[in-house]
Amino acid sequence: MHSLETRSLERRFGGLAAVNGLSFSLDRGEILGVIGPNGAGKTTLINLVAGLYRPTSGAILFEGRDITGVPAHARARMGIGRTFQLVHPLESLDVLENVMLGFVFCRGLGLRAARKEAEALCETLRLGGLARELSQITMLETKKLEIARALAGGPSVLFLDEVMAGLNSDETRELIELVKDIARSRNIGVGVVEHVMGVIKELTHRVLVLEAGELIAEGPYEEVVKDRRVIEAYLGGAA
Amino acid sequence: MRRLARFLGPLLLAAAAILLPFAVGAYPLAVARTVLVYMALALSWDILVRSGQISFGIAGFFGLGAYASVLADLHASLSPVLSILAAGAAAALVAAFLGLAILRLRATYFSITTLALAEIFRVVIHNGGDFTGGAEGVVLPKPIFGGDSRQLYWLALGAVLLACLCSLVFQKTRLRLALTAIRNDETAAKSNGIHIFKYLMVAFAASSFIQGIVGGIQVQSLGFATPESVFDPNYTLLPLAMALLGGIYSTPGPVLGAMLLGVAAEFLKLKIPYGHLVVYGIIIVLVILFMPRGLFGLARPDRPSAAKARSLLRKGGGEGSSRA
Repeated sequence: MHSLETRSLERRFGGLAAVNGLSFSLDRGEILGVIGPNGAGKTTLINLVAGLYRPTSGAILFEGRDITGVPAHARARMGIGRTFQLVHPLESLDVLENVMLGFVFCRGLGLRAARKEAEALCETLRLGGLARELSQITMLETKKLEIARALAGGPSVLFLDEVMAGLNSDETRELIELVKDIARSRNIGVGVVEHVMGVIKELTHRVLVLEAGELIAEGPYEEVVKDRRVIEAYLGGAA
Repeated sequence: MRRLARFLGPLLLAAAAILLPFAVGAYPLAVARTVLVYMALALSWDILVRSGQISFGIAGFFGLGAYASVLADLHASLSPVLSILAAGAAAALVAAFLGLAILRLRATYFSITTLALAEIFRVVIHNGGDFTGGAEGVVLPKPIFGGDSRQLYWLALGAVLLACLCSLVFQKTRLRLALTAIRNDETAAKSNGIHIFKYLMVAFAASSFIQGIVGGIQVQSLGFATPESVFDPNYTLLPLAMALLGGIYSTPGPVLGAMLLGVAAEFLKLKIPYGHLVVYGIIIVLVILFMPRGLFGLARPDRPSAAKARSLLRKGGGEGSSRA
């Protein structure tokens, strides 16, 4: 049984199939890369898994259970976490309160216990000790905050939507180590949507390549980058 | 020590409010009672505003409570005090039922719908025939407590204390995190496991419950109700202006705003009849433009400016995605 599995997942927006007949799986402890040109359906895929979109057809299974009709907040409680490409910190809450949300609403902790747990989590992510106002934190810290908020919900599956975007190479390195550590030490299945190929190469065990909503290649990084269809998708037919 | 100081202010204010009837005459006391009625409504409105939902239906649930109280008193011979509780329950039930539909709406759509609801309630009761008294309204045999001005004042003060208590519960528990998250970003809130509809429902029902109670208290204190008097749009406009002036998303804000505007209105009424309404309008415009967190927000700059934080974060995220 896979931790997460989709079967012939399809999502149409009008006439456009943003995701078309996609079947894949993700296991605990595994880091899965999701790549593809702009508009390939990567973020749509995350939104389908997180429950923000309903699929037009197909099914999503979480730990063997069909969750296709389960609303987003309930999926978060079950253990499906995600971050957003455009970061979504809640600006009227301070950093710690942002992290507390998952502990309170996914794991049912009281405010006091949630605050303690959130402090501990920020500490492990080296987010601790920083100024607590949202307007004062750096880009790297914002990205870490996104990850911390997702981890607070206690996910067994976590999708990261371009968390490395906008970071310099040192920061990217730090975050790569962090994501590896999360997958290993917390035994979480991590889905990584990313444009930077170096990140995908270093981070992932397996890669899905999407183009126009369809899965065109799947396998280890070294194999998929040699795939003719993948090269065509990225460089155009002439290549 | 600081803890003590924080509790001391509100406690002194509450003590002063309780003892006020022994210090002032009948007219100031009547003014104070009216201010308390609006204060409780302002507090109730603020509770829902914390979720980002702006209701223009205060007068609707206030009037509904007023009629529920009168009708329970007249037709079911409920004691006045019990009928006030029934008023709260009726308003909360109607809110919960209508909430199933209207809490799916957001922003101006929600606001306009709540405004329309208040008008629908008025029309229904206006045309309710003998049961509701129709356009002529209903008169109670006598006001609650025989119309004793001190007891009426304390009754209204009770409503304010109830509203404060409710407001504090929404401030000190997970309800604050849930409603703030919903106000800031519903997508993020969902992804953190927050059942948005459930929390909106709790806030809407609690807010309407208080409005119903206050309606019941008002009608039992005055001894009569007509559709035009209890569904008066002023019961929506004044609490809204008070909460905005004092500072929304807080408990002291609406209290402060109600005291200032309530007293100012009384003064203005004497100087320029109906002029106070113009002043309310001007205050709403000025506060929204220049002081979105109200007076209390000025005194407590403990949160970063929302717009500043947003622009900073969006800029960062945007740069990242365009470079990629």
